[in-house]
Amino acid sequence: MFFLAPIGIVAAYSFNALALPPSSPGFTTSAWRSFIHSSVYLRLFWKSVEMSLIVSALVVVVAFPLAYFLALSGTKRKYILLLVLIAPFLTSYLLRVLAWKVILGDQGVVNSFLAWTGARSPDHPISALLYSRFAVMLVLGYVWLPFVALPIFVSLESLDTRLLEAASDLGATRWQAFRRVTLPLTLPGIVAAFLFVFIPTVGEFITPSLVGGTSGYMYGNQIVDLFGTGFPDWETGSVLALFLLAVIAALTVVFSRFIQGRDAAPA
Amino acid sequence: MHTLNRRDLLKIAGLAGAAGVVGGPSAVANAARTALAAESGALQVLDWAGYGNDGGQAMFAQYVKQHPGNKPKFTYMTNEADALAKIQAGLKPDLFRPYVGWVEYFATSGLVQPWDTSLLTNFKHLNPFMVKAGQYAGKQYGIPDDWGLDAILYRTDKVKPKTNSWSLLYDERYKGKIAWFDDPVENFTIAGLLHGFKDPWNQSDAELAQSKAFLISKKHLVRTIWASETDLDQQFASGDVWIALAWPNDWVQMKAKKLPVVYMHPKEKPIAWVGMFMLLKGTPRPELAHAYVDAWSSAKSGKWLEDNYGYGHANTLAKPASSDLLKALQLTNPRAVALPNAYLDRNVPRRAVYAKAWDEVKAA
Repeated sequence: MFFLAPIGIVAAYSFNALALPPSSPGFTTSAWRSFIHSSVYLRLFWKSVEMSLIVSALVVVVAFPLAYFLALSGTKRKYILLLVLIAPFLTSYLLRVLAWKVILGDQGVVNSFLAWTGARSPDHPISALLYSRFAVMLVLGYVWLPFVALPIFVSLESLDTRLLEAASDLGATRWQAFRRVTLPLTLPGIVAAFLFVFIPTVGEFITPSLVGGTSGYMYGNQIVDLFGTGFPDWETGSVLALFLLAVIAALTVVFSRFIQGRDAAPA
Repeated sequence: MHTLNRRDLLKIAGLAGAAGVVGGPSAVANAARTALAAESGALQVLDWAGYGNDGGQAMFAQYVKQHPGNKPKFTYMTNEADALAKIQAGLKPDLFRPYVGWVEYFATSGLVQPWDTSLLTNFKHLNPFMVKAGQYAGKQYGIPDDWGLDAILYRTDKVKPKTNSWSLLYDERYKGKIAWFDDPVENFTIAGLLHGFKDPWNQSDAELAQSKAFLISKKHLVRTIWASETDLDQQFASGDVWIALAWPNDWVQMKAKKLPVVYMHPKEKPIAWVGMFMLLKGTPRPELAHAYVDAWSSAKSGKWLEDNYGYGHANTLAKPASSDLLKALQLTNPRAVALPNAYLDRNVPRRAVYAKAWDEVKAA
């Protein structure tokens, strides 16, 4: 009820079955048709997908060795280290994002350091560090890293280490054992971790509005703007929101079948 | 003690649900809180940040003195479209503050009602030109209050304009150091002024297409498009931005930080705005709303606004402490917001078309 009813309301707005006064409601598919024919919205959607894919892939690549070390190194302090990894969650999301402004600004930590070392003139700081696509991807990666590390950690921890010993007994090198045993068995965890980042970041709007500037503007920002900036256009905003929901739902179905399929496959 | 019955709870759930569709969890909480507060009879004010409990108390001190037991409850609006969306989502403020360009839109929307000016003791001191701008069909829908200009703020130590013109916002020499303001009408109007269009507030489809293409072609120069004044001030103070479409308050704030800044009046003329208090139709607290607006209309409030924010005030008796401010912002000129000094913002018949085009500029 609380999940489907709001979606139903948004769908009604997207077909103008509900409308903001002074407009009068009347079923039409015009907003959907303009969306499909609009290269602007679809291009922006693809830009956001591209940014999210890059962030998700990079974060998985960074998180995997961390989770691998924590789960398989046999250290007794692994849960303490895990706590350290998720410690940033103890502070506010906004505070963490804003802290990056202090680090990445033209007179921020990075540029001041470069100027101090003489690597860069103070009059010509690296401006692309903040208010750019790079800034959005960096901050999103930082924010979501623990979310990725956790599912990978869980799947690595549940790995039967006797399989690795068997592989080693049968003459496999460590790399071969990793590639043929560890990686396939932890793949569902990796895919889940990837989705954990991809799904929320593709519709992200807070981080790009704080550190994205004009070039880091994402699809989620456009939805927010359509609902409440300039002049409310809930019809088009609803179309964009539902399209995003549909794509995410489809991806989730595909990936969850993939994960279940692998789990159900005979060993 | 006020207890909630089943109908109250359903009302709150409905409001919260509607707000949730638009604004997420915080809007849900706000909507629920507002619904509860409405039952207690507190005056509901929908206003811009900086005009409520976060700094504006001095501007409605007269109201607090008259009604010590009825503290206003604030909800913040980031712009008129946001206010409209909030009201449509179920928020029930008693009054709110759109700007002069929206008077006709709201007066004809059926959402607001005219004020009874006989209840406003300070009304007679308000600038007649601005009072007239708050009228529609002979009725006083808007009570003028704060006013100011949209012009260009820039760093004199970093920026050397070739001429005093809006074109500084599109100057290739300052790529990555420019900030635009997130408002469709503003950006398209400025583009229209630069292109010499007959009526920049009512551009034809061809003119809008030309303005849109122009803005898209210049967007690569722009580092940020600011929606919150706090963001702009922070970006300017940190040196991330050197040139911005800004408000007088930003000039005051940057001067206070000892930054070498100029608030430049472009030769094509700045755009002036006047805040207009509007009374919601069917409000259960019309007298409190009038008392609140009367407080804001006082000369004392006006002086505070001028001294602290660098904005003008519609009360002609209000005079700022600093003569520099008075001179720089022409606060004693009764027609400072009109030609030949500035273009007063006005009704935009095709506001939705402008907004759509602006969204496409941002998305491009």
